[in-house]
Amino acid sequence: MSQELAMALVELNRDKAMELVRSRAEKGEDPLGILAECRDGMTIVGERFQAGDYYLAELLLSGEIFKAAIAFLEPYLAKVLPAKPLGKVVLATVRGDIHDLGKNILSVLLKAQGFEVHDLGVDVAPAKIVETVKEVQPGFVGFSALITTSFPAMKETAQMLVEAGLRDKVKLMVGGGVTTPALKDYVGADFQTIDATAGVSYCLQNVEGR
Amino acid sequence: MSRETMTRTERVDAAIRLEKPDRVPVVPLLSAEAAGTLSGATMAQVSNDSQILFNSILKVFDDYGGWDAMHGGVWRPIHVQATGTHPMKIRIPGVDLPDDYVFQLVEEPIMQLEDYDKICQMGFDNFYYDDYLWRISSLTQDSLSDALEDVMIWGMKFLPEMAKRDVGMWVAATGMHPFFHLSLMRSLITFTEDLYYRPEIVEKTLKRMTADLIPKQIAMAKALGHNRWLLTEERASAYTYPLSVFERFWWPYTQEIVEAFWSEGIVTVFHIDTPWDKNLPYFKRLPKGSYVVSLDSTTDIFAAKQLLRGHGAIYGDVSASLLTIGSPADVEAYVKRLIDEVGDDGGFILGQGCNLPSNIKPENFRAMLDTCKTYEFSKK
Repeated sequence: MSQELAMALVELNRDKAMELVRSRAEKGEDPLGILAECRDGMTIVGERFQAGDYYLAELLLSGEIFKAAIAFLEPYLAKVLPAKPLGKVVLATVRGDIHDLGKNILSVLLKAQGFEVHDLGVDVAPAKIVETVKEVQPGFVGFSALITTSFPAMKETAQMLVEAGLRDKVKLMVGGGVTTPALKDYVGADFQTIDATAGVSYCLQNVEGR
Repeated sequence: MSRETMTRTERVDAAIRLEKPDRVPVVPLLSAEAAGTLSGATMAQVSNDSQILFNSILKVFDDYGGWDAMHGGVWRPIHVQATGTHPMKIRIPGVDLPDDYVFQLVEEPIMQLEDYDKICQMGFDNFYYDDYLWRISSLTQDSLSDALEDVMIWGMKFLPEMAKRDVGMWVAATGMHPFFHLSLMRSLITFTEDLYYRPEIVEKTLKRMTADLIPKQIAMAKALGHNRWLLTEERASAYTYPLSVFERFWWPYTQEIVEAFWSEGIVTVFHIDTPWDKNLPYFKRLPKGSYVVSLDSTTDIFAAKQLLRGHGAIYGDVSASLLTIGSPADVEAYVKRLIDEVGDDGGFILGQGCNLPSNIKPENFRAMLDTCKTYEFSKK
């Protein structure tokens, strides 16, 4: 099977990738197959990033192409049965911080791998996160931070998850440029990273049934 | 136990000249937010009231026994917009954020594609003050004048207070690298698209902005009578971009800037956040002693020392995370390691990574300062 679309994405050839998505969808090709090839491209980009051959720039640009492809495919995808998500992830920048760049990158990469992402946005109150975890029942919860002011609210949220009996049901991740392994211990999280692709790998390794 | 034999300024100057001072100088970047926390003022107060911020900075300096150069000053959020230091929309505690939040910047692509041509034609300052500022700010012409005057008034009030305390400024003039400026105005993603899909217009604009920046900032440094200036860049490292992008869009302009300042006897202090491990070898192409690299704790400062030993001074890098959630013993241990391994032969100034965080533990700040001031003497 041709991987022309996947490689257009890997090579950041936006025009070619979108033209392939458009022409294949309009010819009646299974949109899930087209989406799968886009995901293949994102997987290769992630692998190259982890190998040190690609940088944040390539993650961002391939992510933008992926988002545009999804947006174009949406009406086609709506007509077919929804594919079962690989897993569910709740993401938030917790109270005290309004930055979302890192979280948004992780969100795109997780979607590219087939996860259902519930992105609560920025400056999110701990109670809102707990409420969403109760409702969505995700396998993963991720907190993103660019500045240290949200650290106490991360810890508070983790404690509230414990009190609600939800903590054992999720893998708790913290990430962002200002985070360190010490933050993992402080919050009581399971995983910490400053690298969005490492976050995706963690989810893939720990998703149920794998 | 031996004692200090140099003044604060002599100590800092020696480290910049790559010499070994009587002890490693310590120069924290006291943000308005950390000054507020450490002095008992709210974030809203230090963000909106210059008098309170001024008092807070001096109180922290006095309460903690001082340090070797003043890094930071009466810079409120509105000042960074008025001066073009952070050309972004801002959220201010007590105005559009709760009183206990820190001032934050909003990442949006405010600058449009056609604005590249405007900058090239008008020059950056004309573009900023005639056009761009009004897209990001609630300032009016009158309140802009007031804000700029406020910067000067409080700067002038600061100087005699520093003289009383026998402490000099770490840097005088401050500027953003043109690359970083464009990234902030276009937003990271859009600017990255420009770099990859529209490189010529970016290159043309960087040339114009560099040509504008050099004479302006040299004149500023000279007017302020200071031989160090600060150049900030948080997005050009080989974490964000491959070296091919760095070599084309960042390094040539940087080299031109540093060499121009150095020809006037002015040292460039880089404030460079994110991991720069792959980029630091380029700095060895700069004139020896012409620069300082301030690292934010994500670059390996110990490897940086091995690379730049005897060539460029290093500043850093007690992390915001350590100062926030670590213990005083953790801070003390890390400071000792920095002094032993990075400050062993001079050319090192101890500070935090990036900026002192707003929720810094007072006991950790004291541990950072006191350890630096006493550790080397305690060994002798």
